[in-house]
Amino acid sequence: MREIIAGIFICMGTIVFALSLLGIYRLKYVMNRMHAAAMGDTMGLGLVVIGLIILGHDVFHIAKYILMILFFWMSSPIASHMIGKVEMLTNKDYDERVHGK
Amino acid sequence: MKEEKSFWRKLNAWINGEEALIHADEYIARREQPKKRQWLKRPNIQEIKSNKGLYWFLCVLISIVFITIMLLVVSNLPTFGDPMDPANNEVMERYLEKGIEETGAINFVAGMILDYRAFDTFGESNVLFLAVICVLMLLKRDKKNISEAEDKEIAEDEMLDAADHKSILKVGAKYLSPLIILYGIYVILNGHLSPGGGFSGGSIIGAGLILYAAANGHKKMQTFFTFKTFTGISVACLLTYCACKSYSFFTGANHVGYAIPKGTPGNILSAGFILPLNICVGLIVAATMYGFYALFTKGDI
Repeated sequence: MREIIAGIFICMGTIVFALSLLGIYRLKYVMNRMHAAAMGDTMGLGLVVIGLIILGHDVFHIAKYILMILFFWMSSPIASHMIGKVEMLTNKDYDERVHGK
Repeated sequence: MKEEKSFWRKLNAWINGEEALIHADEYIARREQPKKRQWLKRPNIQEIKSNKGLYWFLCVLISIVFITIMLLVVSNLPTFGDPMDPANNEVMERYLEKGIEETGAINFVAGMILDYRAFDTFGESNVLFLAVICVLMLLKRDKKNISEAEDKEIAEDEMLDAADHKSILKVGAKYLSPLIILYGIYVILNGHLSPGGGFSGGSIIGAGLILYAAANGHKKMQTFFTFKTFTGISVACLLTYCACKSYSFFTGANHVGYAIPKGTPGNILSAGFILPLNICVGLIVAATMYGFYALFTKGDI
C-alpha cells in the first residue's frame, strides 16, 4: 500500500517535471520560461520528495529529504529573482514586451 | 618584318630603360582583368539557408549519418555485465578483493584515484593549476595591459554595483553559502568513506565562494581571499601532494617499509595518505573555481 501511494506521488511529480520541460522548450521569452521552470523546481520536486518520504526508512533519511527541499526552495527563487532582475535592467524593450504598451 | 622591327624597338627601349609598351595607357585601359582564382570554394551559407529544401535535406542527412555512426559504435560495444568483457579482468578483481586491505579506504574510487593511480591525479591537479596560470596571464589586470577607457568602465560598473542593494541575494547568500561550504568540507573529509572526494567537494566549496562573492561584492571577498592566498593555497597543496606521493614512491609504491599507519577502515582518520591528498585536491579545485570566476568577471582575484 505504501509503495503504491509513493509511486502515485512520484509519477505525478515526474509529470509536472515533463510539463515544465515542455514549457521551457515551447515558450520563447525569458520571463515565460522562468515561469515554466519554477513549476518543476517547486511542485515537481515537492511531489517527488513527498513520495520518497513515504518510502523513507528512518528519521534521518526523511530529514535529509526535507533539507533538500529547503535548500531548493531557498535557492531557486533567489536565482529566478536575479535572472528576472537582469532581464529587467538590460532589456530595452522591457515595457513594450511585458506590458504591451 | 614588321613584328621583328617592333621587337627590336621594344628591346631597344627596354635596354634604354624606357617604357617597353608603346601605347601603355591604351593597353592598360583595354586589357582584360586577370581572373581571381578561388582556391577554396566556400559554400555561401545564406544561399543554402534560403534554399529551404536543400537546407532541410542536408540537416536530415548529416543527422542520419551521425546517428548511424553512433548506433553502429554502440552496437559493437561489449554488453554490460558480461564476464568476458575486457573491463572485467584481474585488475578489477584485485581492486575489489584487496582494495580495503591495501589502501584502507572504504570508497574504492578514492582508493583507486588517490592510491593506486595517484600519479594520474597529481597530473590532473597540475592541469588545473596550469589552466589557472594561463587564464591569469591572459586576463589579469596589470598596469601594462589596461587602458584608461577600460579603467573608466570598471569604475562605472563598480559604482552601479554599489548602488544596487541586492538585499534578497544578500540574505540568501548569508544563509546558503556557509551551508554549501560546510557541505563541501564534509564531502572532502569523507572522501575515503563515502561517495565524493577532492574534486566534487572542491567544486562545491568553489560554488559557495562564488555565491558569497556575487552577493557581497569583490571588495569584501578580498578581505580573506586575495591573490596571495590563492597562489599560496595552490602551490602549498601541490607541493604537499608531491611530497606525500614522493615518499610513497620512494618506499617502492607497494606499502613495504611505509611508516604511515592505515588505521581501521571506516574511521575518519584512516586510509593513510588518502585523507590529506583529498584535502589538497579539494583546496586546489576550490581555489581554481573561484579564481576562474573572479578573473572572468573582474579580471583580478
